[in-house]
Amino acid sequence: MSEVKVKKETNLSDPVEVENRIKELCQQFPHGITDQVIQNDLPHLEPQQRAMALNKLLSLGQLDLLRNSSGLLYRMKDSQSTGKMKGSDNQEKLVYQVIEDAGSKGIWSRDIRFKSNLPLTEVNKILKNLESKKLIKAVKSVAASKKKVYMLYNLQPDRSVTGGAWYSDQDFESEFVEVLNQQCFKFLQSKAEAARESKQSPMVQRNSSFATSHEVWKFICELGISKVDLSMDDIETILNTLIYDGKVEMTVIAAKEGTVGSVDGQMKLYRGVNPVIQPTGLVKTPCGLCPVFDDCQEGGEISPSNCVYMTEWLDF
Amino acid sequence: MTAQEVRLCGLLLREHYGEVVEKVGTHLLRSGAQNLRTIVHETGMPLDLVKKCLCVLVQHGACVFSLGRKGPGSPTEYQTSCSQILTILRYPRYIYTAKTLYGDTGELIVEELLQRGHMTMSSTVKTVADRLTQNMEDGRSMDYSEVSSSFSKLVETHFLQRCPPLPGAGTTDSTTPAAPSFSDCYKVPHVTLCGRGKRQLSSEDGEDQRNAKKAKLDSDTHGDEGIYWQVNFERFHLHFRDQAIISAVANKLDQTSSEIVRTMLRMSEVTTSPIATCTKPLSANEIFRSLPSNYNIARPILDQYLTLLVDDPMEFVGKAGESGGGMYVVNLHRALANLARATLESVVQERFGSRSARIFRLLLRKRHLEQKQVEDFAMIPAKEAKDMLYTLLSQNLAQLQEIPKTPDYAPSRTFYLYTVNQLPTARMLLQNCFKTVANLIDRRLFEAKENKRLLEKSQRIEAILASLQASGAEPEQLTEVEEMITAPEKQQLEGLRLHINKLDSAENQVDETIFLLESYINSTISVY
Repeated sequence: MSEVKVKKETNLSDPVEVENRIKELCQQFPHGITDQVIQNDLPHLEPQQRAMALNKLLSLGQLDLLRNSSGLLYRMKDSQSTGKMKGSDNQEKLVYQVIEDAGSKGIWSRDIRFKSNLPLTEVNKILKNLESKKLIKAVKSVAASKKKVYMLYNLQPDRSVTGGAWYSDQDFESEFVEVLNQQCFKFLQSKAEAARESKQSPMVQRNSSFATSHEVWKFICELGISKVDLSMDDIETILNTLIYDGKVEMTVIAAKEGTVGSVDGQMKLYRGVNPVIQPTGLVKTPCGLCPVFDDCQEGGEISPSNCVYMTEWLDF
Repeated sequence: MTAQEVRLCGLLLREHYGEVVEKVGTHLLRSGAQNLRTIVHETGMPLDLVKKCLCVLVQHGACVFSLGRKGPGSPTEYQTSCSQILTILRYPRYIYTAKTLYGDTGELIVEELLQRGHMTMSSTVKTVADRLTQNMEDGRSMDYSEVSSSFSKLVETHFLQRCPPLPGAGTTDSTTPAAPSFSDCYKVPHVTLCGRGKRQLSSEDGEDQRNAKKAKLDSDTHGDEGIYWQVNFERFHLHFRDQAIISAVANKLDQTSSEIVRTMLRMSEVTTSPIATCTKPLSANEIFRSLPSNYNIARPILDQYLTLLVDDPMEFVGKAGESGGGMYVVNLHRALANLARATLESVVQERFGSRSARIFRLLLRKRHLEQKQVEDFAMIPAKEAKDMLYTLLSQNLAQLQEIPKTPDYAPSRTFYLYTVNQLPTARMLLQNCFKTVANLIDRRLFEAKENKRLLEKSQRIEAILASLQASGAEPEQLTEVEEMITAPEKQQLEGLRLHINKLDSAENQVDETIFLLESYINSTISVY
């Protein structure tokens, strides 16, 4: 006997049946279904009944309502997260959803208030509640130290919030930056020294005194002075500070795609340089460094004749 | 003519020519061109004194006179220029340069000319020969011809020039020829000078003095009457500028590169005009031929060095073409701008620390930056960066540019960008330099005045000692006289001498900064 496919006739008048059918459709299309899909599947369903079923599912927390460019989408919610929200009321769920949407950047409490249209006291109460349930956490932003952003508990805060490799616990690690600065400079300087001692033709000397950013990055990684992994971009920011110190110069050369360290067909080369002039004559006198230079007048309180700095300098 | 410049000129005039000249000079500086009557009236000094002061100033080139502005027939007007008087600061440097280039003879020639202002060739030669003979051993004396040849060499390389001919009284030609651009400027006159330097014997002091005075009034014609010579400051300045560029190249690259640049500059010494942006193009072949013989580098190596110089970010040397193995020029204005920028950075570094210097260089490079961007680029914690930026702002080394987002300049909706402008900052630092030098001179005079009594005493003792020695006194008398100065006084004198030397050398050091900044500022003024 051939199996007779029996299609279970969906009893359209039973709301539970409608809901189950919608849930099955959602499971079929994990990315979400639109109204159109439901209508195609259940052509005899009246829009009212459909709406009722959808609302019921939404309020039960089994469906997610999303909006995309073409209209509304309904998506199956994870059973796990459905479990989490048991015992929370709608407002909390709303706030939670808002925070979840913010992703790893986190969201400020005032923005939560705007998005959920809830009064401030309510929002605060809900946030405290959620924090105690360990569903969200507060992360201090590095840009404004008083501002706290909220994000889901298990998410890693984004770089812009924590500041990246240079910040540890919201504090700018200036000694770390200084140490890296010194190390990079020493590396480049010793390379330049070696090139100069080699006494080859000047072109070769100059080319061998260059180091690519990739080489510097490898050197720093091998030195192991950093607890955090540093990317090549981080090293380049450090090398830029050396350029602003006037100790290093940079050129860009075209490199084949695929040579190690090249980005978009270019490579940055760095080289230690000597300063162009000695400290200038003006700063060898006390007047060049005097903090009250503008107040100094012959015959006044502060004058060259009774200048303390000059007296000290002359007796040096 | 800023207040600081006038103050400094006043101090220099007072030190070199006396208080009376200072009074007239500063008055003229402050009030521009004036005729004799007005000067007499406004300074309240007697007419003959004013006349003498003006003579001194004109003799040294600090003051020029021209026909009155109201047309022919109006009295001549006198005008002083700050820049000419400020070159007095640089006299030691000029003399030292002449010494390194042309030896003792050159040094003395330049010294004499600087002291006297304008002199004929013959009198210069005679005086210098006498001075040189003074320092030689007994029996030897300096020949005039040697001194004349040194003089001619100085003129050939344009370090000395003829004074421009003065307009005759009452001529309708109201334009005085512009200083050194007339045709006979560097022509050495045919001078009949033969003889040797005369040694001044110390035993005939009084007599010699009278003789010397008589010699000056003697009309010893040598064929160059009326042709007066003066020191060509412009040429010395060009030389200093070349020195600065060469030493910068030596610091940045290496000795060989600086030698190459030195050769290039030497070859274009007389072909480049003082205001040129860069030297005339020189081909690599020419450079190769003109390199000093002890630098035997191969031709391809020279090409490599030249390429490296061209590629250097400081842009000292540029390539102007491919003919003759490559045509190269020295970028004078750009080199001066780079040197001025390095000066500014060094001042900020010494005054405020290396992190402020980092911010300063960052702003120079990136022109306009917000505060947040400064913190990010310079990798300095926010609080410290803010503090340093505000300090730079308050010292006027950085400026703030507001860019509003809304028509009402509401602070929360405006961008505030920090920026550094090189030229105005250089001008400001130049004024600071003038004030510094004036302060140093003030302090030096103050120190001397404080210890005037002591100085006078020591001078008297020295005079007594000298006369005793000359008249052949016994050693005991000498020691007795020496003991008139007590030990602590000797120490005080020693300390005083150290102080004054230190202040003097500091003046020269600040003058180097003044020279760099002034050259840079003058190079940015376009002359059309």
